[in-house]
Amino acid sequence: MRLVLHGQPASRGLALGRAHVREPQMHEVREERIPEGAVEAEIERLHAALDTARAELQQMRERLQGALAHELGEFLDIHQLILDDPELVLGLDDLIRTARYSADFALKLQRDRLVAVFDAIDDPYMRSRREDLEHVIGRVWAALHRSPASQTPGVSGEVLVTDNVAPAELSQLTERGVVAIITGAGSALSHSAILARSLHLPLIVGAHEAVAQINDGDALLVDGHSGEVIIEPDAEDLRRFKRQQRENARDRRALQKLRDAETVTRDGVEIRLLANAESREDVHQAYALGASGIGLYRTEFLFMQGRGAPDEDAQFLVYRDLVMGMRGRPVTLRTLDLGADKADRAGIALSHEPNPALGLRGVRLSLAQPGLFRSQLRALLRASAYGKVNILVPMVGFREEVRAVRALLDQCARELEAEGHAVAKKVALGVMIEVPAAALALASFGREVDFLSIGTNDLVQYLLAIDRGNDAVAAHSSPLHPAVLRVLREILQFGQRRGLSTSVCGEMAGDPAHTRLLLALGLTEFSLHPNTLLEVRAIIRDSHLAELRKLGSRLLRASDRAGIERLLKANV
Amino acid sequence: MLERELLVVNKLGLHARASAKLVQLLGGYKSNAFLVGRGREVNAKSIMGVMLLAAAQGSSVVLRVDGPDEEAAMAAAVDLFARGFDEDS
Repeated sequence: MRLVLHGQPASRGLALGRAHVREPQMHEVREERIPEGAVEAEIERLHAALDTARAELQQMRERLQGALAHELGEFLDIHQLILDDPELVLGLDDLIRTARYSADFALKLQRDRLVAVFDAIDDPYMRSRREDLEHVIGRVWAALHRSPASQTPGVSGEVLVTDNVAPAELSQLTERGVVAIITGAGSALSHSAILARSLHLPLIVGAHEAVAQINDGDALLVDGHSGEVIIEPDAEDLRRFKRQQRENARDRRALQKLRDAETVTRDGVEIRLLANAESREDVHQAYALGASGIGLYRTEFLFMQGRGAPDEDAQFLVYRDLVMGMRGRPVTLRTLDLGADKADRAGIALSHEPNPALGLRGVRLSLAQPGLFRSQLRALLRASAYGKVNILVPMVGFREEVRAVRALLDQCARELEAEGHAVAKKVALGVMIEVPAAALALASFGREVDFLSIGTNDLVQYLLAIDRGNDAVAAHSSPLHPAVLRVLREILQFGQRRGLSTSVCGEMAGDPAHTRLLLALGLTEFSLHPNTLLEVRAIIRDSHLAELRKLGSRLLRASDRAGIERLLKANV
Repeated sequence: MLERELLVVNKLGLHARASAKLVQLLGGYKSNAFLVGRGREVNAKSIMGVMLLAAAQGSSVVLRVDGPDEEAAMAAAVDLFARGFDEDS
């Protein structure tokens, strides 16, 4: 019978698939005793499942790349620790040995006991840690019930229905052909949601009744845009789905046609689209989609693989691969952008800071650790012999910093040449504009640098004094603030006057909702994740730059977010 | 056996990441370790034990270490607490 459920939309997309309900069977395990002679074999079966779960986590950890490695690695660390937890594991052995319960029932008892304790904690943050426990138990459970060959959960064409999904599972589920995910709990702001969006996997969260109402094998129609789930859709639903699917496919095809299209506005102005990329896939995609180059390669990810700081040769090989991968198109590499909050994971010991966002980070850290910085600059210079390399320096706030970097860079280049290494004659040096002081005192930098890159994420954070990782204030973190627009406009005009190439590399540049705004403010170089490159290109090709520029000065007079949004909407 | 009262100075208290750091650190030592707080005693080498203690900021816990390398383990743990678990902003 047709039934409609609602949840919060967390990742767009339409999907039709067979329901695969996960986890509730966990709670329905019957009490089961085993004969005394089977105890050791049962313990062995349990430990084999624990080993499988361990190996899966390890495998996920190794497959994570780029930004995800650092976001998700933390979850995986905690999951691994839970799996190795003596309280959990010894308790399980004990239940099997002394009470002669089956491994399944022992697992359920341990889960129930631990969940009850978690639920009794008053602190909501800690209470939510029970999700971590549930993920781990669920993984062991799955391993206990899996024939070695079959790889559940997730068979091609299935919609996974579950209480919760761990971020680290998502890419694996996508690969196995899961077409959408519905969760009973969770939030559209979670890491899972962010990841689902980047994987183009439809996700609906907070569909409270989903696990109870949906049965394994139900046909489900999932609309990740509206948050609607239709159980056993009727003929009209299916017709609507087909129609929408055709439209989406047409849109996608239209976008795919833009792969080789120029990024030119209706009035004939060429806009440069560069890619933010760290992983091989991103770089490949950037090249294939016709990005004019790499606008931002964050080198810190190379440092955060858990193996400490890579030496000059190791860095050189990675940078060289990247440069050669873009086959002559320019590659902008940003030097290490780490602070006290993350440096320890890169094997750099820093003393604790109460406020790392305002502490020893970015270029400040690099200049304080000249040995580390020199090996990075040398590796970058050596890679410059293989293609066009630009060096971008983060967190610059003072002219002295630029001069110090330039001096070190020149010195490294001279040394490398004396040692017989090939180095490009001209390696452009640019700075991130993200510290408000740098944005406001651009004239003092202008002569010292070859290009500018606006880091809107940090610039907005520092201008508005809002940490967008802080749920209590994150809702106010938007670039649509008059102060942000004014600063952006001034930086862009400065770049134009001085003939300095100026790009925006924050998330704003890749958000199709902000494309026209940035064009109106005078931006001609976007650096964005390849995922939205074609969408942004389509908007640019549909925009009339001269008309948008006229809008620019009116936008600057808007006095709040609503006013800015009104102007943008009226001019689409 | 060594015993020390330790103050949880970091902003978030003994949350998941801090708990993970403590458990990982103590896991590197042979000695047994227990954490006592709010009338509960938990295995300090157990991530769930430590998380369940859920010591909020400003509270204090007692760490008890017993074993061949108890001095080194205690010194390392004291240092980790004092650094506020190198917590993010």
